[in-house]
Amino acid sequence: MQYQWFVAGSGFFDWVLLSIALFAISGKLGWKKRWMAWIPGLRIYCLGDSVGMSREGMYCGIMDFLFVDSVIANFLLKGEARVGTLGYLIHLVLFIFLFIYRLRIYMQILKLFNLSKSWIILWLIANWLPLFIIGVGKKYQPDKAMLLEVTGKAEGEKGTEPALTASLNECVPYTDEGLSIHLKERNVTDFGKTHTLLRDVALNIPPKSLVLLLGGSGAGKTTLINAVIGYEQADAKILLNGVDVYEDYESVKHKIGFVPQKNLIRGQDTVINTVGDAAEMRLPTSVSKEKREQIIKEDMDLLGLTSGQDGLVSKKSGGQLRRICIAMELVTDPALFILDEPDSGLDGVISREIFSKLRQIADEGRIVIVITHTPDRVIDLFDKVIVLAKDSGKTGRLAFYGSPEEAKEFFGKGSMEQIVMSVNSKEEGGEGRADELVEKYRALVASKKGGQAS
Amino acid sequence: MTETSNEKLQYTGRIYQLGIYLKKFLRMFVYQSDRVVLPIGAVIAALVTFVVGSNMFVTQEGTTMGTFALTCVCVWNGFFNSIQVVCRERDIVKKEHRAGMHISSYILAHMIYQLMLCFLQTLITLLICSVAGVKFPKPGVITSKGIIDCGITILLVTYAADIMALMVSCIVKTTTAAMTVMPFLLIYQLLFSGSFFELGAADFLKVTTISHWGTDCLCAIGRYNEQPMVALWNTLVQFKDAEFYGEKPLLYVLQSVEQNGLLNDFLKWSGQNNVRAAYASTPENVLPAWGAILLMIAIFTTVAVITLKLIDKDKR
Repeated sequence: MQYQWFVAGSGFFDWVLLSIALFAISGKLGWKKRWMAWIPGLRIYCLGDSVGMSREGMYCGIMDFLFVDSVIANFLLKGEARVGTLGYLIHLVLFIFLFIYRLRIYMQILKLFNLSKSWIILWLIANWLPLFIIGVGKKYQPDKAMLLEVTGKAEGEKGTEPALTASLNECVPYTDEGLSIHLKERNVTDFGKTHTLLRDVALNIPPKSLVLLLGGSGAGKTTLINAVIGYEQADAKILLNGVDVYEDYESVKHKIGFVPQKNLIRGQDTVINTVGDAAEMRLPTSVSKEKREQIIKEDMDLLGLTSGQDGLVSKKSGGQLRRICIAMELVTDPALFILDEPDSGLDGVISREIFSKLRQIADEGRIVIVITHTPDRVIDLFDKVIVLAKDSGKTGRLAFYGSPEEAKEFFGKGSMEQIVMSVNSKEEGGEGRADELVEKYRALVASKKGGQAS
Repeated sequence: MTETSNEKLQYTGRIYQLGIYLKKFLRMFVYQSDRVVLPIGAVIAALVTFVVGSNMFVTQEGTTMGTFALTCVCVWNGFFNSIQVVCRERDIVKKEHRAGMHISSYILAHMIYQLMLCFLQTLITLLICSVAGVKFPKPGVITSKGIIDCGITILLVTYAADIMALMVSCIVKTTTAAMTVMPFLLIYQLLFSGSFFELGAADFLKVTTISHWGTDCLCAIGRYNEQPMVALWNTLVQFKDAEFYGEKPLLYVLQSVEQNGLLNDFLKWSGQNNVRAAYASTPENVLPAWGAILLMIAIFTTVAVITLKLIDKDKR
């Protein structure tokens, strides 16, 4: 019986003291509803969320709630032998997980308030104490820039999104030839919160184009690609040669080839069988065996894979693996071919070789879109460049679409890397001109309304 | 060449894809190092048989212990066959699924491939048991030969464990998670089989374990109820010198049994008084056990397919 009283009593005091401490610090972290500090579970979620650790906050919140719940349950059950043992076990497990997740959140708080990691010792002594000290101490103030960075909003304010006058979607017409992208928004909901990852992207890419997709980290390159290929659908209309990718996804997906950044192939099979299986799986059944083998042979020849075709995939070099991945997609004869960093980890010579192959593939009538972080050594091969930028609301936006020469002129820069730097934020070492350039491009397209900006 | 039209084209269906994946897995079996599961399975079977094999299907105690150990070997082999097969290539599966791969074809191909592996492991286990001198029951309960009945049971137990691990491999996202979960599953199979540990109120849980059905089935096939029981005799021997009112009555009884050549009769009499209904060598015991294992395989397969179909929701 003593155990129940002890746990219940300590649980109650922990709740009161932690609530006071959280109430004290909540003002500095910009909580809108400071009374949440008194609600078990929710208060920890709010704490995590306000320091940019929503996930940890949620896990911790659930466990905090369960912990309080189990304390009450154990008290009411008055320690029946087996239930009592189970109670100990539940407390122990919950305590371990709570400790780990809280530790992560507390480390983040220390970072935000520029405090030494040694403060963590205070947490080990009394969970509520450092929160209380930081909360009431006037000299302890959070780093507002960092708070903005980790939460995506300024202290106590909702993220501001630049107002649109006339959107690109209104200015760029749809076309039935090639790839027509009209993306209004791509949102994700994470723990009840909606974030806009990408907004207002509109452009038309004609067939036989090799397109470079540029942008800094978090600018929305992969989000755009996933939206275009219909894998993660957005509020958008994507037309591939006049066919709506979203409405007719089941048939169009076979016309889209996507080579991700990682080499997603099984090592313990031969090159020819790996490419052959991809062709067998994805080509229409109307394609005869002879025709299929001819397609495979042509693509293997094009990518220089014929000589080692009977070797195991796992024995191939990095460049060969990238080419195998490309071949696996190419055999399906895609109308739209997208590659995420096909030159990742490759030296300049092999990289150039791969981009030359992609140029050939585009010349055969396909649209090829490529993400690369080293564009300048192969920029002469590209027809178009798409520049995405992360605006002040942390949303990816279209900053430019046109030829590489036009891009250099628009940004006033001599290279693609300099262009990326101009739209990157200052925290990332860039010039932080994303908002300005997005607006400049929107104005340019609006001025050419009725025709494509490029 | 690359025109996209509204004309509906037919692409490979489930059966065709099943063939493609099955061929791929068989080729990979030839090329890859996963073949190590066969010799490892053989070594484990040999070790276990060496320890408990001599009395298996000879005495009741030897049969209980031996069949439980053999079932554990099968569960272990099954788990190791497939615990990583899906999760280690989860990114590949995700990509292929978005490109038109049918999850059911992929899982079924794995199941057929794993059945082949389990069949080979069963043959190896039976061979090792035979070499180690395990005396398989001559007449079977379902078929004409006991070794065939045992083989079917071993195959089913191994395969059920294999498909259970395949299911886990479909649920978890990394090989680390799979290898973390596996020991818990194994412990659950060992502790909750109801063979050696009293489960008390949790006794109902034993029907959820593959090992319970496997042990019951092998004991029934092994004609447990017709075997002598040695535990009682051994216990009496331990107490032979115990004095009771200045006499040694147990020593007198034991000497009397031995001197009159009644030891085997005593052991048989002990066994006859220790029969268990679940181990009766009747099709009514064996067939439901096989059915329960097959039902588990069906459930594991269904869960595997359903959970893997959610692979598109994996976050980057």
